[in-house]
Amino acid sequence: MPAGSVGRVCELTGDESFCQRVREMGFGEAALVTKISGTTTSLCLVNGTRIALNHPAAMSILVEQIPALGRVDGPASAR
Amino acid sequence: MVGNPNCGKTTLFNALTGLRQKVGNYPGVTVEKKIGITYSQHGRPIQVIDLPGAYSLAARSPDEAVLRDVLLGRREDTPQPDRIICVVDAANLERNLYLVHQILDLGRPVIVALNMMDMAADAGVKVDAAELENELGVPVIACEAVNGRGLVELRLALSRLELPLARHRWDVPGPIAPAVAELQASLRDHDGRPPLIARAEALLLLTDFDTVRVGGSRPLSARTHEILQQWRQRWAGEGTDWSAALIRSRYDAIDRLCRNVIRRTRDTGPSRSDRIDAVLVHSVWGWLVFGAIMAVLFFSIFTLAEHPMNWIDGHVAGFGAWVKQSLPSGDLRDLVTDGIIAGVGGIVIFLPQILILFFFVGLLESTGYMARAAFLMDRPMSKVGLNGRSFIPLLGSYACAIPGIMATRTIENAKDRLITILVAPLMSCSARLPVYLLMIATLLPSDAVPAGTKAGIMLLMYALGTLGAFGFAWLFKRTLFKGGVPHMIMELPPYQPPRFKEILRHMFERGWLFLKNAGTIILAISIVLWCLTTYPKHPNPEATATEQIAQSFAGHAGHALEPVIKPLGFDWRIGIGLITSFAAREVFVSSMGVIFGVEAEDDDTQPLRDALRSAHWPGGAPLFTPLVCLTLMVFYVFAMQCMSTVAVVKRETNSWRWPLFQIAYMTGTAWLVCLILYQTGRALGY
Ligand SMILES: Nc1nc2c(ncn2[C@@H]2O[C@H](COP(=O)(O)OP(=O)(O)O)[C@@H](O)[C@H]2O)c(=O)[nH]1
Repeated sequence: MPAGSVGRVCELTGDESFCQRVREMGFGEAALVTKISGTTTSLCLVNGTRIALNHPAAMSILVEQIPALGRVDGPASAR
Repeated sequence: MVGNPNCGKTTLFNALTGLRQKVGNYPGVTVEKKIGITYSQHGRPIQVIDLPGAYSLAARSPDEAVLRDVLLGRREDTPQPDRIICVVDAANLERNLYLVHQILDLGRPVIVALNMMDMAADAGVKVDAAELENELGVPVIACEAVNGRGLVELRLALSRLELPLARHRWDVPGPIAPAVAELQASLRDHDGRPPLIARAEALLLLTDFDTVRVGGSRPLSARTHEILQQWRQRWAGEGTDWSAALIRSRYDAIDRLCRNVIRRTRDTGPSRSDRIDAVLVHSVWGWLVFGAIMAVLFFSIFTLAEHPMNWIDGHVAGFGAWVKQSLPSGDLRDLVTDGIIAGVGGIVIFLPQILILFFFVGLLESTGYMARAAFLMDRPMSKVGLNGRSFIPLLGSYACAIPGIMATRTIENAKDRLITILVAPLMSCSARLPVYLLMIATLLPSDAVPAGTKAGIMLLMYALGTLGAFGFAWLFKRTLFKGGVPHMIMELPPYQPPRFKEILRHMFERGWLFLKNAGTIILAISIVLWCLTTYPKHPNPEATATEQIAQSFAGHAGHALEPVIKPLGFDWRIGIGLITSFAAREVFVSSMGVIFGVEAEDDDTQPLRDALRSAHWPGGAPLFTPLVCLTLMVFYVFAMQCMSTVAVVKRETNSWRWPLFQIAYMTGTAWLVCLILYQTGRALGY
């Protein structure tokens, strides 16, 4: 996801305990995410909180860009 | 007191308890335990526990496991609290209420401290405390911990004899209910839990299957464990993720709850923090600022600390001399002056560096920059399998490994923290400097050698240590602490102006911890080391210090050590130096002074260096050849020659296992590297 775009979390994959934690932090399915910056380590905004994710973490959160605000349709990783 | 990380819990705890605090450890686990006393409206003392910050009772780290176990009454060392103060960040209410929601299930009296009301207002969010109180049925108190707002009301609420229990009811999703009921019954019958706690615990177990456990907590009964496993298998077979459903249903309940509580008054554009972040985590500017901050930190540790260190050094020496004059001569006097004052003084001298490092750590933490520094460093550090938070502790270890190791408490991931602790002493600390200087002076005695060459050798030693640290971190990550790069998710708190009162408090707390260590364990080891060099006495009372040390246990140990270190080119006299410098590496210099009969002078190594250059093996071959000097320096780069570090690692990891492992791997590496270096050098004819 390019910096500045907004997406909706559609699926969490990978490590079970990580997924639980992400959901508990309000970053679960259907949450809105704004990508701020970063390539390997990403910075995003979720519900008004800035959250940093390292590469493996970002790769396991699948988001769907919201067309009205983004440039590309279809699933893409949070990265 | 419980709450999410960064909700202002510590600030509120400090405001409530002032200086009446005790910091310790939970037995059996490396989690800090903070207890303070506050007074009720009528002056009745109330004990307040500052529990570790957590996002959820479904624990993912030892900190969170301790929180869970204390609240569930699973710990022997901490009785279940009578009341729970939930601190929540009003600017992030929904996420903070998740933990509150889990805690309300426990059926214990709860007070909600709605903190950071100012931050919420800044972000254009209006939070209605009265409405939230109405929804939850427990007291909700609006606070601003940093300005002391809400403290009086909080104290009043704490003073109430009876607190209402939560009115908020929440329905467990239907398909989970049988699992909850079965587990609840088992927890009640086999683990002796009261019914409500049993229900809450059952819900928790189903969300995280009790994965993180810590020492010092009562384990679950076998029967409960079995039931848990059965449900887990059943759900895995069905392919439904009920724990996700459970989380979703809590968030749905929170959404309903907040409907009338939160009002967004205006849509704010990018906040102040966003604008600052545009620079500070920028891929170019961010690194420049980061580099500048680290340079300032590094220089402050070395230059600002110099004067106070000299001052302490002078006073310790002066005090020793005064004691020497005031006491009648004898073993007692020597024990006090040469053993205790010199030993403990040699460590206390690092106090200024420790205070400066912790001032910076506090400053970076309280402004919110620390999380950004970790964010920036995450990528380079991940190359060796560490995360960004390990950077500052490692940098601090250039001054002294002790504050570096103490600073690892900011690393949440227990494995990363342990790895950082294990490799931190490889960063060349300032106690190694005198040894390097003496060896370089002996190696290149001529003043004609350009200063650049000497500095180059010094730099080489620093580089070697740093490489070693990263190399071992990489190795440990692949062997001892296997498991891919962990998923890291970290919140970046909003920027705040620094609060110097809190920073100073933190700094003195760490300084005090260090002094306490120096006053106990380091004191004990100093006494032991002194005895080793003093006994047994030389039969001739007129014996010189050189003859005495040769005759002592340390001297015998040096001889005993000789076969082991001879392949490195070291003799028994260097062996004594290696043993005594366990007190602190720079003691090597003064030991050499005693052994070679030269009064050691701090600022003039000339006589000692000449003495070393004329030292010989019994056969007549020179002892301190250039190759031996180099080998000795390399030995000091790698070897774990520091009892204070051992003591701190023991305290921070709560066991002797890790410090012993550290001694073994570091000293083993030192021996091996030196063996290769010396033997290769010899073979090449040096
Ligand atoms: N503006 C504002 N800042 C606060 C308030 N309470 C705490 N802080 C700041 O928030 C930061 C995190 O607080 P701290 O007590 O360390 O949080 P903890 O992680 O929950 O212990 C610190 O910089 C505090 O100074 C508050 O009510 N208003």
